[in-house]
Amino acid sequence: MVNGKQELAITRPIGSSSGGARDVRRHPMRPPGLPWVLPALVVTMGVIYYGIGYTGNVSLFNWNGLSDNPPNIGIKNYQGILADPVFWQALEHTIVFFVVVVVVQTALGFIFAVLLHSPIRFAVLYKIIIFVPVVLAPAVMAPVFRQIWAVDGPINRLLGDVGLGALEQPWIAQSSTSLAVIISIQVWEFTGLTFVLYYAAMGQIDSTVLEAARIDGAGNIRIILSIIWPDVRGTTVALAMLTAIGSLKTFDIPYLVTAGGPNYSTEFLGTYIFRISIPQAHVGYGAALSVLLLILALTMAIMLQARGREKEGPAV
Amino acid sequence: MFEARGRLAKIGLQLVVTLMVLPFLFPLVAMVAGSLSGQGWGNYAKVLAVPGFALFFRNSAIIAISTIVIVYVVSLPAAFGFSKLHIRKKEFYFWLILVCITLPEVVLLAPLFVLASQLGLFNTYWAVVIPLAALHVPFAVLLTRNFVDGIPDELFEAARVDGASSMDIFWNMVIPLSRPIAAAVVIFTLLASWNDYLLPLVFLQDPTTETITLIPQYFVGEFNNDQTKVLASAVITAFPEVVAYLLLQRLFERGLSAGALK
Repeated sequence: MVNGKQELAITRPIGSSSGGARDVRRHPMRPPGLPWVLPALVVTMGVIYYGIGYTGNVSLFNWNGLSDNPPNIGIKNYQGILADPVFWQALEHTIVFFVVVVVVQTALGFIFAVLLHSPIRFAVLYKIIIFVPVVLAPAVMAPVFRQIWAVDGPINRLLGDVGLGALEQPWIAQSSTSLAVIISIQVWEFTGLTFVLYYAAMGQIDSTVLEAARIDGAGNIRIILSIIWPDVRGTTVALAMLTAIGSLKTFDIPYLVTAGGPNYSTEFLGTYIFRISIPQAHVGYGAALSVLLLILALTMAIMLQARGREKEGPAV
Repeated sequence: MFEARGRLAKIGLQLVVTLMVLPFLFPLVAMVAGSLSGQGWGNYAKVLAVPGFALFFRNSAIIAISTIVIVYVVSLPAAFGFSKLHIRKKEFYFWLILVCITLPEVVLLAPLFVLASQLGLFNTYWAVVIPLAALHVPFAVLLTRNFVDGIPDELFEAARVDGASSMDIFWNMVIPLSRPIAAAVVIFTLLASWNDYLLPLVFLQDPTTETITLIPQYFVGEFNNDQTKVLASAVITAFPEVVAYLLLQRLFERGLSAGALK
């Protein structure tokens, strides 16, 4: 079968279409490549596209995941979602999460990178401390964070010790602070990645430019704002993209630290889909939610692709 | 980047970095301190004495290695095909794969759940390895194709003139030349599969097949919510990851940043 395809690809361009013929002239020695990309296509299409198609189909049914003949209810699941306050809350949390994480992580990662490119002692040690969280599984750190932010945990104890006892509060057990805790955990986990990317990008800046600026009398702040920040713009955009995709995928931390609560205050699309589909067994409704999440993710993919075409910055 | 001439400025700079790093250090210190409270090292002894504790690590290793092998074996030929060979509607196929980069795994939950029960894949590594591989092939293809694109065409054309087949070229040129990017693919696939939580949570219910990311929950049950032991198990679970990072620091940092750098 593979051989058949190979032959087809060889003979076709020589045959008829002018586009193909031009192709052949331009790459006179390019043998067929389809068999080489076939495994990758089969794996992604087989699992992911099958899954998407299946989910799309299931989203039209009122199905508990077990019954043989679930009723087809058309777009009722989607109508239900649009009227579902938890869905809108989850969406809002995702957006708040994304905006705060992008701003804080970009600022911290950038500042760390600038500082650690400066004459600092034990720079390697600082680098390790910032980066270690990136390699640790969020699922493994979750109980640690539950403990840290607990009512009788180290954060409250620390506040009491420094005389700020008035600020002690049940951080993850009240809706006013739970999302902030989730965001802080995310920032802790992934600032290291932001930092490493900026650190590498700054390493590529031409040092003579910096020296020239200094000779012209530019101070530290001026150099950072006028030379370094614009120079790493590509990295900033790539990181914003990565964070946007990551925000849509958020699951482990809110699921394990706050279980989406209290009172849905840390519900994200991922945790909501899981809750609806598995423990509550509303598989049809969960599938419709998945389709909406997918549309959001696809919008991101298209923006990403458009950027990749520009070829001026990193391709993520 | 900062220039600090005076002694005072240098000390000031050092102080700022130290203060900024403290919040990052704090959870790690709290984790270790918490794991040693109560019975001290006894907590670790208790955790390590739980029968089958090593199985979590074995299972995670099997899943991570299988995923890495599949991703590598599938992505590198694809990169070669997309970059240096003739495919009609090449960019369309590439785009089909690329789109999947943004796919959240939770979207696949329902179909994978049904598929796994029909094929009897519950509590098997396949139920986790295959979706993981499918989810990470797209990014690996993007990375490796960008890398192979950077290898000059003339090199391949010269080999062809000398009579090399695509297979010869792949074995003798593409594989050795793409080693740096292969390292990046291995690292990011390793982290993604080793740290994955959702797929094992749903598909591995039998403790003998569970992965390290399920350890905390297991121990919350096992030790009746005794936090010190749960923290001790978190430290033990984190330990190999930290050691691997410290040993392969540059590889990790470069691997994770490979996608975003020119």
